[in-house]
Amino acid sequence: MPVTLPDKQARIAGVTPTDVFLGGWLALVVSRWLLPTCTPCGAAAIAHAGLFRMERLNALVLCVIFAAAVLWYIAHARRGGTIYIRPLPGLSAVDEAVGRATEMGRPVVFIPGTGDLDEIQTIAGLSVLGRVARVTARYATPLRVPVLYPLPMAAARETVREAYLDEGVEYVDPETVQYVAGESFSYAARVGGMMLRERPAAVIYMGQFTAESLLIAEVGQSTGAIQIAGTAAPDQMPFFIAACDYTLIGEELYAASAYLSGDPKMLGSLKGQDVIKILLAAAVVIGVLSVTLGWGSAWLMAAFEAK
Amino acid sequence: MKTRLPVVVAFVSGALMILSFFGRGPLVDSASEVALTWQTIVGGFSLLLGAVSIVRVHWRRVATRERDRFYSLSLLVCFVVMAGSGVFFGIERGTVFERLFNTIQSPMMSTMFSLLAFFIASAAYRAFRARSVTSAILLLTALVVMLGRIPMGQLIYSQLPAWADWVMSIPSMAVQRGILIGAALGAASMSLRLILGIERTYLGRG
Amino acid sequence: MKSGNRADHTPAGRSFWDRLQTVDRRILYTLIFAAVIIPVLWPLHLPTPTTPESQAFFNAVDSIPAGSVVLFPFDFWPSTLAETEPMAIAGLRHCFRKNLRIVGLSNVGMGGPTIAERLLDSIGGEYKKTYGVDYVNLGYKANYSAVLLGMGTRIADIFPTDHRGTPIGDLPLMQHVPNYDSVRFVLIISDNAMVDYWVALVNARFGLPMVAGVTAVMAPKALSYIQSRQLLGLLGGMKGAAEYEQLTGLADRATRGMDAQSLVHFLIILFVLMGNTGYFVIRHRQRHLPLGGVRP
Repeated sequence: MPVTLPDKQARIAGVTPTDVFLGGWLALVVSRWLLPTCTPCGAAAIAHAGLFRMERLNALVLCVIFAAAVLWYIAHARRGGTIYIRPLPGLSAVDEAVGRATEMGRPVVFIPGTGDLDEIQTIAGLSVLGRVARVTARYATPLRVPVLYPLPMAAARETVREAYLDEGVEYVDPETVQYVAGESFSYAARVGGMMLRERPAAVIYMGQFTAESLLIAEVGQSTGAIQIAGTAAPDQMPFFIAACDYTLIGEELYAASAYLSGDPKMLGSLKGQDVIKILLAAAVVIGVLSVTLGWGSAWLMAAFEAK
Repeated sequence: MKTRLPVVVAFVSGALMILSFFGRGPLVDSASEVALTWQTIVGGFSLLLGAVSIVRVHWRRVATRERDRFYSLSLLVCFVVMAGSGVFFGIERGTVFERLFNTIQSPMMSTMFSLLAFFIASAAYRAFRARSVTSAILLLTALVVMLGRIPMGQLIYSQLPAWADWVMSIPSMAVQRGILIGAALGAASMSLRLILGIERTYLGRG
Repeated sequence: MKSGNRADHTPAGRSFWDRLQTVDRRILYTLIFAAVIIPVLWPLHLPTPTTPESQAFFNAVDSIPAGSVVLFPFDFWPSTLAETEPMAIAGLRHCFRKNLRIVGLSNVGMGGPTIAERLLDSIGGEYKKTYGVDYVNLGYKANYSAVLLGMGTRIADIFPTDHRGTPIGDLPLMQHVPNYDSVRFVLIISDNAMVDYWVALVNARFGLPMVAGVTAVMAPKALSYIQSRQLLGLLGGMKGAAEYEQLTGLADRATRGMDAQSLVHFLIILFVLMGNTGYFVIRHRQRHLPLGGVRP
């Protein structure tokens, strides 16, 4: 039976009509609950002021262009189009690092950052954890995942459990994912002590880090472990570059999940963001030229002004 | 439903936050305020989850007489003392909790931070080697900035502070901006994947 | 994987140049420790040149009219007290000396309000200021975005009581500060991303002028806000705090600490030069080794 066009388009984005129906129903329930907060005066004010913040129109246009580019390349990937992603040495080394740990009979330590689950870097780190957990389960290599906050702990436990089940391993050591502490330096002390006692062969840092990054990385370096790091925090990158063997810089961390999975939908989103990057680079060049040559830059400033 | 419901909740929450950024009105404002309040409540309950996890893990180590059980026992004692003093006697100025925090916890945190001075010395000594032309340029730039930021630099050469300021405000800033733009786009792309349900790693599924 | 240089083996063992680039880290740490302790015991009184950002910070605070209300977020953890506390103390002294009225708060739950209380009472006492009239400490509330945005509407909705439990309406100072409209300036001391949120949520939406004191690691990123005029001034680390102390004429801990920082910087530079010297000598020798690879 041929698939109708609206269904196909919705399914390409990963959201099915059933999802839209459930989501719309949920939004209706929520809005019905919240409707009593509207007063007649409020309704009149909305009608007068308008529902949309016009001062953010430029942001909306950029968002629409961004989303369109990402969705276009996702659709392109789904249709079988080839997408080239340059090799990321840090991610290619993950398998090598776990293999080294297996040969040496020492554990792998995976640190999914010191951010909470509302940080996008933490979610990016957890996506790499899934891959690492799959490989450690396959080779029966001990895995240690110390976590700073409870919600990432719950997500990490689920990630590790699902990865182990995918490899046919039902038992997961309860010591694998541990909630360590609620504060970053206590966490650094605990993780440093763990690394000195257990002498891991591989340490992988993926996520958001603050000042404790150098503390942990230097301790890991002193144990002789191979270290792979990835963070989008520019102030912590120099420490990882100095202390680790491989470093993923900035957006490479976010590309990790797409890179490791090879899923066409996710690879397509990487290409989409590259399109926007090119547009922004062009805007920078135009801006530099317009200011240098005196063309006037007010229009460009207004296009990118954040309100 | 186990996979479908979290994806729908993620979609609705993400869409709501986007609407609240671009829209205005009591409906949108109330909805986003409710979502933020729920976020705070869930975060509060998650602390309970973490506390239970810590107590369970370390109690098991003490009960099974593992090798490092004394560290676990000390953790449990400190946990009970801090939590108990805060709950029963309050956390205001002059309370036991506040004194314990200022005299033990706070200096310990500062001490851990101070270890960075030592680690940065060993990291710099090990990593700053001019193995190639680019690493030599990096090394020279780092020397200029480090000397320019201390009084001794000005004594060595009066223009060093100005050179250091130039490096920090022009080339360093340009690189930081480039990295930040790339990281922001990566985060936006990942957020879009999460909202649309393409990325489901937070559920434990690849 | 990064590898060390191949050892320049002589029949007698590792050469001096090889040992020069593989010094035991314990020796390095001992020298660092000495470099920190010696200037503390015997101060060197090295002058600290002022950067344009620190000068701008001072000028911005100095230009606030007397009697104005300044919002003073203590958004830093106890771990960074060495860098952030001197900034906060110098900022409070500058504000109290100009008879500015301080509304303190914190978005860091662990220790922030306690530190704010201690510093406000301590420095306020130096200038004979009265709590509730000249300064208040609102304390901490979770969910920073709701706090920063909510205070633009009504502060009492976010902080119905201050850190001591006193209703906001009972504090004489807060009776004249319903929201951001009555706040003249924001002086942020932070060691985390709260600076970004203050700029994005408060400066961008409500137009409040602000300056920030941040840790040295955060300063390069925060410089972008100076260039875009979203921050009027910036203090970076203990050096920034020392510069501010000198500009206000009240040299204190940060100024004393700059001696140690200067020596440690110098020592790290020596370590780097030492390691590179050994590296280059060995590389030069290995390029000129006879066939067989062993020096006669």
